This record gives sequence, C-alpha cells and structure tokens, in this order.
Amino acid sequence: MPKSATDIRHFIIAGVLVAITTVLLDLLLKAILPMPVQGSHQAQVIDQLTSWHLTLIAFLFSLVVVIMLYSLFVFRKKDGDESEGAHFEGNTVLEIAWTVIPLIVVFVFGFFGVRALSDVTRAAPDEITVNVTGFQWSWLFEYPDSGVASNELVLPVDRAARMDMTSRDVIHSFWIPEMRVKQDLVPGMTTTLRFTPSVTGEYTVDCAELCGLSHYSMVAPVRIVEQAEYEQWLAERTAGTAPALAQTGDETDADTDVETDADAQSN
Amino acid sequence: MTLWSLGLVRGVVGQIVGFAAGMALVIASRLLFGFDPVWNQEPALVGGIIIGSIGFLIGVGALTDWFKWMRGIETPLHHGPPHGRPAWTRYFGVDYNHKVIGIQYGVTGIILLGIGGMFAVIFRTELAASGFQFLNPSNYNTYLSMHGWAALAAILLGIGGMANYLVPLMIGAEDMAFPRLNAFAFWINVPGIITLLMSLNYGWDGGWTVYPPLSVLGPVGYQFTFWAVFLIGLSSILGSLNLIVTILRMRPPGMSLFRMPIFVWAVFATSLIQLTATQFIGQAFLMLSFERLLGMGFFDPDKGGAPILFQHLFWFYSHPAVYIFVLPGLGIISEILPVFSRKPLFGYRWIALSSIAIALVGFLVWGHHMFTSGYGEYLRVPFMISTLLVAVPTGVKFFSWLGTMWGGKLSFPTPMLFVLGAISVFLIGGLSGPILATTATDLFLHDTYFVVGHFHATIFGGFVFPFFAAIYFWYPKITGRMYDETLGKIHFWLMTPAFWTMSLGQMSVGVMGMRRRIADYDPALGVEFGHVLVTIAGFTIAFSVLLMIYNLLHSAETGRVAGNNPWRSRSPEWQIPSPAPEHSYASPITVVGEPYDYGIPNSTYVHMAPLAAADD
Amino acid sequence: MTTVTAALEGYTQQLRNNRMGLWLFFISEAFLFGGLLVTRFYLWGNTRPELDQTIGLIVTGVLLLSSFSMNMAETAIEHGDRRTFLGGLAVTAVLGLVFLIGVMVFEWGLFPAIYEGHLKPGDNVYGAVVFAMTGMHALHVISGIIFIAIVWNLGRKGGFSPERHWGVESCAIYWHYVDVVWIFFYPALYLIGTVAH
Repeated sequence: MPKSATDIRHFIIAGVLVAITTVLLDLLLKAILPMPVQGSHQAQVIDQLTSWHLTLIAFLFSLVVVIMLYSLFVFRKKDGDESEGAHFEGNTVLEIAWTVIPLIVVFVFGFFGVRALSDVTRAAPDEITVNVTGFQWSWLFEYPDSGVASNELVLPVDRAARMDMTSRDVIHSFWIPEMRVKQDLVPGMTTTLRFTPSVTGEYTVDCAELCGLSHYSMVAPVRIVEQAEYEQWLAERTAGTAPALAQTGDETDADTDVETDADAQSN
Repeated sequence: MTLWSLGLVRGVVGQIVGFAAGMALVIASRLLFGFDPVWNQEPALVGGIIIGSIGFLIGVGALTDWFKWMRGIETPLHHGPPHGRPAWTRYFGVDYNHKVIGIQYGVTGIILLGIGGMFAVIFRTELAASGFQFLNPSNYNTYLSMHGWAALAAILLGIGGMANYLVPLMIGAEDMAFPRLNAFAFWINVPGIITLLMSLNYGWDGGWTVYPPLSVLGPVGYQFTFWAVFLIGLSSILGSLNLIVTILRMRPPGMSLFRMPIFVWAVFATSLIQLTATQFIGQAFLMLSFERLLGMGFFDPDKGGAPILFQHLFWFYSHPAVYIFVLPGLGIISEILPVFSRKPLFGYRWIALSSIAIALVGFLVWGHHMFTSGYGEYLRVPFMISTLLVAVPTGVKFFSWLGTMWGGKLSFPTPMLFVLGAISVFLIGGLSGPILATTATDLFLHDTYFVVGHFHATIFGGFVFPFFAAIYFWYPKITGRMYDETLGKIHFWLMTPAFWTMSLGQMSVGVMGMRRRIADYDPALGVEFGHVLVTIAGFTIAFSVLLMIYNLLHSAETGRVAGNNPWRSRSPEWQIPSPAPEHSYASPITVVGEPYDYGIPNSTYVHMAPLAAADD
Repeated sequence: MTTVTAALEGYTQQLRNNRMGLWLFFISEAFLFGGLLVTRFYLWGNTRPELDQTIGLIVTGVLLLSSFSMNMAETAIEHGDRRTFLGGLAVTAVLGLVFLIGVMVFEWGLFPAIYEGHLKPGDNVYGAVVFAMTGMHALHVISGIIFIAIVWNLGRKGGFSPERHWGVESCAIYWHYVDVVWIFFYPALYLIGTVAH
C-alpha cells in the first residue's frame, strides 16, 4: 500500500474500482427497477431518458461510495496510533472542478430533459379527443365526435389521443402506468394530456392523487385495440347497447361500512 | 413537591379549561350576532383549539414574565434548578437555560418521532399484503396523514433541539439572545402537538399536503391539523429569529463568520428559510381553515377561487422546508467527520457557502412538485432547471466530505458510523432527485412510491441518521457518561441495511406502478414481495430505535464516566466539564485559531479566557 | 469597570439584539403580507371589487395621520417630555380605533344595524380576499393598539426615560410597520385594476 495520501496509485486503484462498480450497479438498478410494458410512444422517450439517468446515478453513487469505502479501509486508524491525519484544508482547483463539472452535467441533462418534455407533450394533427371527468371515485370518458360516453377508456393503437380532463369534486390524477405520462384533473379548469398508445392490450387508468376515502380503488379499465375494433366499439355504443353508466362513485365503497367524507361533513 | 408544581401539568389543565372557554366563547358570539344554529361543531372546536393553546401557554407559565413586564415589574433571569424541588422538574416546566430547552426540544422530538413512526409501522403492516387486513380505508388515510405531520413536527423539534443546545455552546455564548422567547417557542409546540393528536378523534385524509378541495370537504379533523401546524410554524419562526440574532451578535472576539463551527453555518442557513418561508404555510393553512369556517372561496372554483393557488403557497414553504430538515443534519456530518478523520474539514468555506446556496436556490424550485398539477406549461422548464441546479452545491458537500476522509486517521465509534450511514443514505436520496426534477421522467414517477423512497432517503440521510449521530456524539457532554458502544453499533448495523432495503424497495414498487397513498393495491402489479421487504425493514428500523432509547436511558445511570473531551475535539463545548455546567463558560472565551486545524501540533481553536488575558 | 457602566453596556448590547430581533420579525411578517398580496394578484389579476372609495380614503388618511402622532410621542420621550408623550400615544390609539371602526363597521358591515356592508366573506373570491387582507391587517392594528395601551399605562406610572425606552421604540416601529403594510394593501384593494361586476 502506498504511504502518502496523494500517491497516484491510490487514485488509480480507486478509479478502477469506481468503473467496475458503476457497471455492476447500473445492471443492478435496472434489475430492481423494472418498468411496466412500454405502451406508448411517450414511454419510449421517457424510458430512454430514465435509462440515462440510472446510468448517471450508478456512476455518481459508485464514485462517492467507493471512494468513501476505500478511505475507510486504507486510511483507518491503526490500534494505538494517536497521531493526526495529513493536514490539508482544501484545494481550490478541486472545488472549482467539482462545481463546474456538475454544472455542465446539469445543463446537459437539462437539455435532454427539455427535449424529452417537448417530445412527450407535442400535439399530433389527427388526434382522438376524449373528455375525461373524474369524480369520487370513478371515471367517465366521453367521445365528443361520436357522443359516446363510457366508464371504460377504449383507444385505437398507434393513433395520438388527447385527454381533455376536468374534475367534479376534488383533485384527481390520470395515470396509465404503461403510457407513463400523468396529469392532474382539477375542478374548475380543463387540463390536457397527450399520448399515443403503441401496444394493444388491457390496462388500467389509476387515480394518482389522493382523493379521499376510496382513492385506492379509483381505477378504470383501459383497452388499446386495433382501429377496426375501436370503430366497431364506437358503433355499438352509439347504437345504444351500452350498459348503464356509473355517474357517482357510490358503488365503489360498497364493500366498506365507513362514512364517506361527504357524510362526515354534514354532521 | 406536588404534581401541580410541574408546568406541563398546569399547561395541560390550562389547555382543557381554555378549550372549554373557547367553545363557550364561540357559542356566545354566535348568539350575540344572531347566527343560526347557535351550536355548530366546527367553529366551536376551532375556538376551543385557539383559546386552549393560549390556556396551555398561560398554564405552563411561558407568558408569566411578559405579563409582569406589561405591568412594569422587572424579572431577573433565574439560573439553576427551581428552589425546593428536585432538579429534574425543571425539564417539565418553563426554564430559560438553552441547554434545558435544547433537551426539551430533543426529547419531545424523539417522542413525536416515535409516534410518527408508530403510525408508519401500523399502515406498513397493512400494506404487506393486498386486500384489507385490519385497517379500513378511512383509518388508513388518517394514519397515513398523521404519520406525515407527526414526523415532520418531530423533525422540526429535533432540529430545534440540536440548534438550541449546540449553537450557544459552540459560539461560546452564555445563552440565546432572547431566553424567554426561546422558552415560549418551545412550549408553543406542546399545545400544537396535543392539537395534532386530537385530530385522530375526528380523522382527516388528505396526506400531509392537505390539498383543497379535498381538505375543505373532508372531516373536521382537518381543522386540528391546520391549527397544529400553525402553532408549530410559529415556533419555527420565533426560534429561527432567536438563532439568527444569537449567531450574528453573540459570537466571541476572534470568531469571524468563517471561523464559526460549520454546524452554526448550517443552522444559520436553515434559520433564514424558517424565518421567512414558514409564513406561507401558516397563511395557506389559515386560509383553508377559514374557507371551511366562513365559506371564503380562495380555493373553491365555484366562487372564482383556484385550487392550484394553494399548491403554490404550500410548496413555497414545503419545498424549502426539506432544506430546513436536511441542512442542520448535513452540518452535523461536516462537524463530526473531521473529528474522527483527525483532519481539517476539506473546503470549509465551500461547505459553508454551499449551505447558503442551497437555502437560496431552495426558494426558486417549489414548482417541481407541481409538474402535473395543471399550472402554466411554460413554468415546467424553469422549475426543472432551477431544481437540477440544487445538485451542484449538494455535490460540493459530498466531494468535500470525501476530501475530508481521504488521507485521514479514521476511527469508527457509533457517531462516526451514523455519519457514514447518513452519507450513504443521503446519497440515495440525493441521486434519486434529478430524475424527479426532470419533467418528462417525473410525469411517470410523480405520486408513485418512487417519490416516497426518494423523500424518505433524503430525510433519513439528511435528518434521522445525523440526528442519531449527534445524540451519540454529544451524549457524553449532556450526561457526563458514555453510551454503550456495543448497543450503539448494533443499532447502526440493524438500521442502515434495513433502511437501504426499505428505500430501494419503495423505489422498486413505485416504478412497477404502485401509487402513493393507496390503502390497497392490485396483486396483479406484482409488488407484494417488495412490500413485505419494506415492512420487515420498517420493523427492523423501529426495533433498532427502541434499542437506542434503551441505551440512552440505561447509560445515563450506568455508563462509564466520559471525561471532558472523549473525542479529542477542538470545539469549545468540549473544553468545558461534562456534563456541561449551568453557566457553560466560567469566563468569556476568545477564538485564536481555525476550528478544524487537526494535524497542526499545538494549535488551538479557542482560548478559554477573555480577550485581555489572551493578549498576555 | 464599575457596575453602573457594566449594566449600561449590558443594556446597550441587549438593545442591539432587540432591534435586530424586531427587524427580523418584520422581514418574516413581510412574507406573510407578501403572501396575501400574491393571493390577491393570483385570484383577482387586473380586476378589483367595488369598494367604498370614501371609506377607503378616510381610513387610509387616519392611519397615516396616526404615524405622525406616534412619531411625536417617541420624540417626546427622547426629550423627556412625558405629557406630550402620553398625549401622542393616546391620539395614536384613538386614530387606530377610528381606522378599525372604519374597516370593521363600514367596510365589513359587521353590524348591519348601523351599516350594511357590500361584501360577505363567503360570497366569492372578492369577498374572501378583501376579508383576508383587511382581517390580517386589522389583527395587527388591534395588537398595535393593545401594545400602545400597555406602553401608555407604563409611561403614566413613570416608566421609560430618554435613555431607556425600548418599549416605546419597539411600539412605534411596530406601528409604523403596520402603517406601511397598509400603504401596500390600500392600492391593491382599492385602486389597481378595473372594477369587476
């Protein structure tokens, strides 16, 4: 082992260890953070950016922890040694370096962040508009072009969809994990969310903003289908064979016998 | 000695009497102004809360001296334990010694941390399996919300404890600048905590963020929360005011700003935020309270109000609040690290200024909590960039800590272990931040368990671990005895891996689609295993903290006598006897060197005599 | 060092601490009132409610006037003129009360038997913000009047001297501060923006 704390061999060994750990940690992080199905074009953009972030996290975590652990082993006090450590109070060049380099990294990631944001929020010319209404504790989806209303969200694959959303009571949040993107529904205003489903399948739209008693069960089914099936579904709905709609959230808490917020308030 | 001679007992009685009087007052004024019906639960309870809190303060005696001043009576400061009563009783009543107040803050903080943790353990157990085991959605939501504010109040108290005990000692001051205000600022927390716990009786379900309209429509328990937070916030404001004056005006000769112990810098930065931003949450919670009481439509769209306005007001405090929580802890890390590295703090000025930088940038980032809220889209990018910028001063701290350890002579007693644990845990919290600050990725992660994991890592790394490190480190100075080293190490080795597991587990289930604050989840998500791990980890942490409390109580009686300076620290508080005497410094001290010049033979930081003697 | 000069030095030190503490308190309060202004501009934008301009002008004038009488009182105690000091305080408190009556009886319509107000707090966002801003300010005026009453009572009993009158000084600065806050609130409530109907 080199004696001096500023011996170059320390830095070479630590550097190699940091590199190895970064690779291992990157693999580990991506294993313990499994993303749901990549179900939309927006998901591809977001997952790409997430992946870069995770690699950066792996590197920075390794950098700090490996150097820390290296110090703990190499520079630990020997038994009976009461002397002091090497006296250096700081290094201005180093301080400037680890201020400026992170600053550059911040701006690089900021740039990619802005680009990704404009990608995932960009409007497409041929959008399907759905008016989404949230209420305690259910969802209502209305298709203004065809006048169809439903408690189930059905969308064609590979076609941009635009949710124009509002809430009847408290704040809710529209989230289909497979589509990645999320947007709050605020009473008194209309918010917009765009996504383009890319994989057919059955998903759920979950309320992501605490909205009272049955927030946990404010979930509605989502089906992403082929264009033809979507049109057929719309036609069936327009013909009036639709089942009755849930207009209030009362049925969702039938399994619990506690008071709803509204009841408690009127006491 | 009777029970009545304890200020706390008188305070609680005062609060009960005041509560009844407040309710009566509201009923009487409704009668006077012709309101119908005369009995209305909510205004009556609010009246009870307000007058009850004043009743507590009168009962405990926090206002006694000021009332005397108003009548022109001089009140000399009383030093030492009360006459004719056992010394321990001073901890249960108004006492003006900053060390007593520091202990009062700290112990109340630990108790409240335990209560907050207990709520977490209860609903964590419920989450270990899908379906409802022993909670229903209503009490799940209440416990979840209570966990939030109980833990946050505990953190504010813990910070108050460290700051009050350590700052005057570290700058060689006899006491805080305003001892009576100091006692008042502590005691106003107690009726606040009692009020907060009373909310359990009525329930509330908004989480700690209490967004309207939910918090306006929900049960009356919200009122208790609003006013409890208001009282605790008032304590923050007055306490920080006191600390700023103490730090700026009561330093000894020779202690320039850049010769202060680094913890004092951290407290200064924290106090700047507490003094100013806290007003916003007080105001926002008052507005909520009055929206409920008088139908004032601040946040009600039907009356032209805006729910999003609340989020702006709330986060303008609550984001900087996170820096209030972590900056003192980071100061503790910087303070303890050089002692056990036997090396100067690397880049002292950079660390000091990075605290101020974090505090200032912290005022410009609140909008990153609102990326999905529906505010103007043009706000997303500026808030994203400003938030990412916080990484720069935070990075300076991490790298400087590494520079401090590199080439030192490191030893690892319990306080040092907790400091190292804090660095590793805060690193998890810090590094999971930029991905949430980046708007595009946040659209996915917002309001998921990933955020829960990130936040808890930040708070454990920035507050809980350093707080425990501080407790172990200054325990010999407080009690004069050593804690049990073996138990301390067991505490560390149980808590740290458990916390890593918990943190990564929370992030993992969050990415898999687990939303925040849900009482039950779909087993199809596949997150049950993760939740079981997190729950086991939670219990392990709870057990390890109980071990620490046992250690602290037990060692106060049986621990080995510590001596004045068991850590060979240069800081002034270690140059005086342990436990610290009533008057900390026998004579005013003079600063003659740098605080962290370990490794220079015969250099000292302080000269334990006044300036004139130092010149000799 | 004699005990007298030591005591004086202690007093000077404490006085400096007190001054800094008071100004920090004002900085903190500025955030409270600033928050209310933020609320006003967020919710009203470039509009304002129809308020009684005459009342607004009168109460503003009264409050500005009270700052002069307060200043007179403080100058008087600095010169040891106890009569003017007590008189100035009394005038200030009375003007403060007139301000309060103007706001609470006329602007708020708290006693409909005397005067029917224009707005109710629960009407809409205009009522809410008017009552929040004037209410929070009135709370400070009330506490200021109580403060003046205490100082007046102590002064009557022979308290305060030209050398030692921190109680008077802090009371005066507090009163001026509350006055200055109103100088920001008055245009925000009465002048800025077009009247919304």
